Amino acid sequence: MTHLFSLPLFWAALTIASFLAGQQLYRRLGNNAFIPPILTGVVLVVTCLELSGVSYQTYMRGGDYLNQMLGPVVVMLAVPLYQFIHTMRKQWLRIVLAVTLGSGTTVACAVLLAHFWIGDDAITRTIYTKSITTPVALAISEQVGGINALASAFVIITGILGALMIPSLLKLLRMDDPQAVGLTLGICAHAIGTSRALELGPQQSAYAAMAMTLTATLHALVLPWIV
Amino acid sequence: MSGLLTLLIFLLLGSLLQTLLHLPVPASIVGMLLLLLALILRGKTPDNLQRITQTLSPLLPLFLIPVSVGIITQKQLLAEHGPALLVILALSLIPGALVSALIMRKGGKSGS
Repeated sequence: MTHLFSLPLFWAALTIASFLAGQQLYRRLGNNAFIPPILTGVVLVVTCLELSGVSYQTYMRGGDYLNQMLGPVVVMLAVPLYQFIHTMRKQWLRIVLAVTLGSGTTVACAVLLAHFWIGDDAITRTIYTKSITTPVALAISEQVGGINALASAFVIITGILGALMIPSLLKLLRMDDPQAVGLTLGICAHAIGTSRALELGPQQSAYAAMAMTLTATLHALVLPWIV
Repeated sequence: MSGLLTLLIFLLLGSLLQTLLHLPVPASIVGMLLLLLALILRGKTPDNLQRITQTLSPLLPLFLIPVSVGIITQKQLLAEHGPALLVILALSLIPGALVSALIMRKGGKSGS
């Protein structure tokens, strides 16, 4: 067993298996946005590491096979972004304003709260990336001196909270027209919000996907200069 | 596979440009913007890129698991600040959601 645990390929295979299990669970529960496959996958891998006593460094020699794919995946975001530019031409000013001010507000609130409440510089730097889809958040967190492992956790937790809170909040305030809900989910809750939007309807989901990509691009360009 | 090669070439170009110009923006983002520019100039998405996007998109969460598992190296920090962080992440969503929903509502429903 110890030999098996020292093989990078074992951990790469285990990660893929955990992801597939997460996907199965997600489907069984009727595509419930609160149990995204990534959450189940992470919990399963962490459990295996805790049980076997294998260190994160050892795990990562296998995990890195998959991790290396993040670079091309971020480049790939140009494809949906290009399609959105095409379809959303008429409303671009309002959309750009909503994305800029909305995401700016949520990040500013989080950064200020973290700065005055916790006061740990690395945490504050990391929380800047909380509303950006994870692959982009990681790239930026590295650039601005945040903690990568934490960045990923912030993004996933923000996504789940946003998917949970935003539709009810907007409904309560009677601001729940499909475009507003979709855009807000994409801005504040990135990929997890986008999968929640998919449950709400096609218009919500198109706006969420667009908002998520625009937010990620905007933050990727702005954050490295101001953090 | 030619779609993947395109992505890798743009990633390498992004990396090159980032180093040459000392950009603070991540190489993958520079590559993404270069590809976006190329698509705008070309006027349409080539089939090979469309295919690789459809193949890779559903796998995205898989590629994110390894870094996310790194949370086990942050146990001490979470024990100390975990609840505060959770509250911060939840509270900060509310003003952001209100601002973006308000902007989308203002100016009428011209797009719908």
